[in-house]
Amino acid sequence: MEALLAAVAKSGDRRAFAEIYGYFAPRVKGFLMKGGASPEEAEDLAQDAMVKVLRKAKLFDPAKAAASTWIFTIARNARIDAIRKASKPALDGEDPALAPEESPRADDLCELKQEKARIVEVLADLPPEQAKVMRLHFYEDEPHSVIAERLELPLGTVKSRLRLALEKVRKELGDHK
Amino acid sequence: MSSVRHHPKTQTLADFAAGRLDEARAVVVATHLGLCADCTKAVSDFESVGGHLLETTKPVEMAHDALEKILARADVTANVIVPASPALDQPERNLPLSGFLKGSIDDVKWKRVAPGLSQSVIEAQGYRQGVLRLLKIEPGTQMPKHSHSGNELTLILRGAYEDEIGDFGVGDLADLDGEYTHTPKAKGDEPCICLIATAAPLKFKTLAGRIAQPFIGL
Ligand SMILES: [Zn+2]
Repeated sequence: MEALLAAVAKSGDRRAFAEIYGYFAPRVKGFLMKGGASPEEAEDLAQDAMVKVLRKAKLFDPAKAAASTWIFTIARNARIDAIRKASKPALDGEDPALAPEESPRADDLCELKQEKARIVEVLADLPPEQAKVMRLHFYEDEPHSVIAERLELPLGTVKSRLRLALEKVRKELGDHK
Repeated sequence: MSSVRHHPKTQTLADFAAGRLDEARAVVVATHLGLCADCTKAVSDFESVGGHLLETTKPVEMAHDALEKILARADVTANVIVPASPALDQPERNLPLSGFLKGSIDDVKWKRVAPGLSQSVIEAQGYRQGVLRLLKIEPGTQMPKHSHSGNELTLILRGAYEDEIGDFGVGDLADLDGEYTHTPKAKGDEPCICLIATAAPLKFKTLAGRIAQPFIGL
């Protein structure tokens, strides 16, 4: 995927883009639907995100992040832009000042590969109840209090499970250098 | 920058990575990231978790003409934005704060709210409710004792202050939630300029503070 993105960046290679699209667009759509978006909203947002992937492919640096991470940040920002447009139609969602910077950072390609494997390991090691809360933290746009209600758990429990999971990720990934 | 001593909570960084913060707090965190390698690393780790979740999400079929539409839309203009490199001595120049300030911090129109204290509210209501403002504390000024509730992020852009928690200098971020009472005092001989994102009003404990409060307008 990283090589395909590089090909899109270099020459606007449409066949490479179609492959990226084929893999990621349905996942972005699925991801957004898990967070409560309707199929129509998720379709629109996934299309917005893929337009950005195509336009911004030049900003993707395979030495710095996995394609999935980069596309995750683009989908995340597309969702933020959609909220912004809904609350203030006059604002231009493309304004660079408004979105968190999309270029992710890591260290080098080799370390990146190890890190990807490491994430899978760390997530697999989490107790299921912590992993669940962490997944919802990323999927959902709702406040943690709403997530707590839906899980029929006290807010404090949700927060402490999430904190344990986050600290673990941070420790395991941060320390491994 | 290694001189940064106070950082956002892990939860706040994960909220940022997941796109859960309101605009005001996102601006404050993003500005801190421009000055702090540790927090940048943590955010990119959390983004990698997001990337992994994306990859392992069950795909849902796209509309049959979606690819065509995307290619047509992307053709219109290739509007590529290159992120500015952060200037360490002028953190306000970092994206995304620079876009909000529309110029340098030296050009900010300050409004005096109390002796030694002025502020400037920044429009940052693009998504999710929150208040973003700059606060300038003149050297030696001690703010009245006041308490905070709710989530509040304060990032030092210029100068320094001290309070019951410790010393805060450029790049330091105070990440407060819940009830918290303090009396910050500006240190050194330049004004202390802070970027503050608040979700809830300040509550002053002393009479002077309560008198100042309506002027602060929060
Ligand atoms: Zn930090």
